[in-house]
Amino acid sequence: MVLEEEVQIPLDRNTVFHALNDPEVLKQSIPGCEELKQISDTELEATVVIKFGPVKASFNSNVEIDPSQGPELFKLAGKGDAGVAGFASGGADVHLEENDAGTLLKYVVNIDISGKLAQVGGRLIEGTSKRIAKKFFANFEEILLQRQT
Amino acid sequence: MSATAESVQERRAALKGLGTSRKRVEDARFTQGKGNYVDDIKLPDMLFGDFVRSQHAHARVKSIDTSAAMELPGVIAVLTAKDLEPLNLHWMPTLAGDKQMVLADGKVLFQGQEIAFVIAEDRYIAADAVDLVKVEFEELPVLVDPFKAELPDAPILREDIADEKEGAHGARRHPNHIFTWEQGDKAATESVLSEADVVAEEMVYYHRTHPCPMETCGSVASMDKVNGKLTLWGTFQAPHVVRTVASLLSGIAEHNIRVVSPDIGGGFGNKVGVYPGYVCSIVASIVTGKPVKWVEDRMENLSATAFARDYWMQGKIAATKDGKITGLWCHTTADHGAFDACADPTKYPAGFMSICTGSYDIPTAYLAVDGIYTNKAPGGVAYRCSFRVTEAAYFIERMIEVLAIKLNMDAAELRAKNFIRKDQFPYQSALGWEYDSGDYHTAWEKALESVGYSKLREEQAQRVEDFKAGKTRKLMGIGLCHFTEIVGAGPVKNCDILGMGMFDSCEIRIHPTGSALARLGTISQGQGHATTFAQILATEIGISADDITIEEGDTDTAPYGLGTYGSRSTPVAGAATAMAGRKIRAKAQMIAAYLLEVHDNDIEWEVDRFVVKGAPEKFKTMKEIAYASYNQAIPGVEPGLEAVSYYDPPNMTYPFGAYVCVMDVDVDTGVSDIRQFYALDDCGTRINPMIIEGQVHGGLTEALAIALGQEIAYDELGNIKTGTLMDFFIPTSWETPNYETDFTETPSPHHPIGAKGVGESPNVGGVPAFSNAINDAFRAFGLTHTHMPHDHWRIWKTANELGLHADS
Repeated sequence: MVLEEEVQIPLDRNTVFHALNDPEVLKQSIPGCEELKQISDTELEATVVIKFGPVKASFNSNVEIDPSQGPELFKLAGKGDAGVAGFASGGADVHLEENDAGTLLKYVVNIDISGKLAQVGGRLIEGTSKRIAKKFFANFEEILLQRQT
Repeated sequence: MSATAESVQERRAALKGLGTSRKRVEDARFTQGKGNYVDDIKLPDMLFGDFVRSQHAHARVKSIDTSAAMELPGVIAVLTAKDLEPLNLHWMPTLAGDKQMVLADGKVLFQGQEIAFVIAEDRYIAADAVDLVKVEFEELPVLVDPFKAELPDAPILREDIADEKEGAHGARRHPNHIFTWEQGDKAATESVLSEADVVAEEMVYYHRTHPCPMETCGSVASMDKVNGKLTLWGTFQAPHVVRTVASLLSGIAEHNIRVVSPDIGGGFGNKVGVYPGYVCSIVASIVTGKPVKWVEDRMENLSATAFARDYWMQGKIAATKDGKITGLWCHTTADHGAFDACADPTKYPAGFMSICTGSYDIPTAYLAVDGIYTNKAPGGVAYRCSFRVTEAAYFIERMIEVLAIKLNMDAAELRAKNFIRKDQFPYQSALGWEYDSGDYHTAWEKALESVGYSKLREEQAQRVEDFKAGKTRKLMGIGLCHFTEIVGAGPVKNCDILGMGMFDSCEIRIHPTGSALARLGTISQGQGHATTFAQILATEIGISADDITIEEGDTDTAPYGLGTYGSRSTPVAGAATAMAGRKIRAKAQMIAAYLLEVHDNDIEWEVDRFVVKGAPEKFKTMKEIAYASYNQAIPGVEPGLEAVSYYDPPNMTYPFGAYVCVMDVDVDTGVSDIRQFYALDDCGTRINPMIIEGQVHGGLTEALAIALGQEIAYDELGNIKTGTLMDFFIPTSWETPNYETDFTETPSPHHPIGAKGVGESPNVGGVPAFSNAINDAFRAFGLTHTHMPHDHWRIWKTANELGLHADS
């Protein structure tokens, strides 16, 4: 499944880009994130709980971030294991464009879901994923704006 | 009419024998919720098993950590392949000569595959413990498309047999290839095709679906370690086969195993196979010394126990300019999933797909079937049909329509032109079958007349005009089908499963007071055997069906038989019942002659008694004879009145039928509305017309489901996309139309009572009728063929691709 969306954040590109690389900001922004550990500069480990309709899944995830093309592009790729509920793997490319109103983030997310989640929640995955992505950026913006004040 | 004649009629009616619409004796308990299914079995100290299943379609299992699960209070044990290996039970043979992992041995090959078996004090603890078992996987590339199985970059699925060049059904050309099965004359067919006036070609896909019985599969195993006896209750369509297989696998002597099929809530082929759950419940009971129950849930049923169909049938049909068919060619790519677990007679790895010449006199034909491994669940069972007969019927009935389009001919006329004529029976088909009997033209004419066929075509033509003129957005489809089945497997000379000949049996005991008990080797899953077999016997031995108890399903008491599937119960066990009844009557004749003090030849059978020829007032009823057989010393005759028959049928039976479906199709929403469905079935002698009608209604509804939406769909990662009843279509009364049933009666010449079997005909004939109606609705707009299932979205897409939407 591929999600393509964009979101406008009223802050300059460098601030936004650095925040994307900040584990503490990520932890607070990711909906359902219970734990997030930085393993190295580019490796993170996270525990994220997501509800897909009737199935509640706790993903133990390994995420690799690639900030090398910043601040224009932020990339991440990862895998999540929710045990009997299933597995997720995927990645995201976030393009950051400066404009008068701040920064426009255009993101393309690729997600493959397997296992029971795909069986039971097949019809719910797209909606849930969109909702999570929206919520992530809403939280993200809120945290950054709070920090500014 | 004389008084005697009347009394004969009355006595005949009182028997409730052949031809009577006798109410089903089973229904008293079913309609009151008093059935006794596997999950109703509760034994003291019973434990429950549940599976850890694979979330991946293809992965290596690197480790299984059961420690957290074992710490959960109430968990008794967790079995993995390592535990089963010392018993040599980590793999098991399939019915198709392949082998299947009972629990994942190093890798998993389909989503839902069994990895570990948790045994706990109740099913909730077991389910909780399943979540605590940690499995480490290494994902492997997934193969879901059978046409990519032999490409250079295809992953090799079955590493256990990757190097084996020979399988159970001959040469294998690739590690992902199971078999090639060929029938007919390839060279002759190719030559007919190259010289024909007209050749129509089409790829006909019969999608993967699932029998989805209301009751899922399950078993209860109870090993009594004191007397060494294993009792196994389960959802078995073939309990005797399960006993033999269980004995061979476990090493427990066959007399120490009792297999019981209690009430079964629908089988439809799903309950023919042997599943890991059965094996694990047996092992778990042996290990724990306690009874162990395993019952799968709906998702497990849809995703792991046997699927049906999944045949890609590439067809070519040759004809003269005026529509006389000269040849048929078919190459089928059969997606068998990860293990070849089809339930077909051994010599027929593609079942009776070679009945694909259908009802037509096709002089030359060739069929090849390639079985392929993919990362999908194993199975390939006969879902309410004889082995692969639905696939065959769908193929030929689509090819006929495709040919009619190519010839610009009416499809009903094309069929009539090519039917095997009544005087050609017994008919030898180009692909090797001897059709026992049939009268296709009579059935076809009756069907067309009943629906007012020519008027329907006129209405359809008008509808097309109205559509083009913008007066309506609904098209009209007329779905025709004339099918011929091949059922009643089968003659032991060419039909066996795992080496077990496909005869069947009946054992009759007449009690002194003139009632009877008959036991059969088959097992009802809703077919109404307790009702209909008693009727066969009532007519044969003159005891009222109400006084005859039918018992099936307990291997300790029932005679050996191969079970119920492929419409074989009436053709085989029904024949055994009649033959055993005739043995009873032969002995009764000797007893009656003695009692009447005449020679055996001086008496004759009349409904329920032997009568002295020419002296109708002198007679002995079967009831009187039964009493005498036990209580009177008769010189030269053993006491008692019992008989047993093991019946090996000389041939299959060939039921047929003519179906017409009339449908309105909304071009803008893709919604199909069935206006009329007419089903004429010829199943030979009709035992119970009411049960036949019920069977036809049920089978048509399953056919409707398959044709119009039901499927097991996988995504490219091997995820099942239709693993719940939210996505897997089961029609309700809302979607089910009214059915008109009709019949002709062409008795089977070789069956003792001329019966042919009917339970599966409506599925075999229904699917092409529904599908042909959808295809026919768009014929005027250039559609030749579109694949099932014809759900609303696909119909809309077809209309869109044909440019029938304003914006397309």
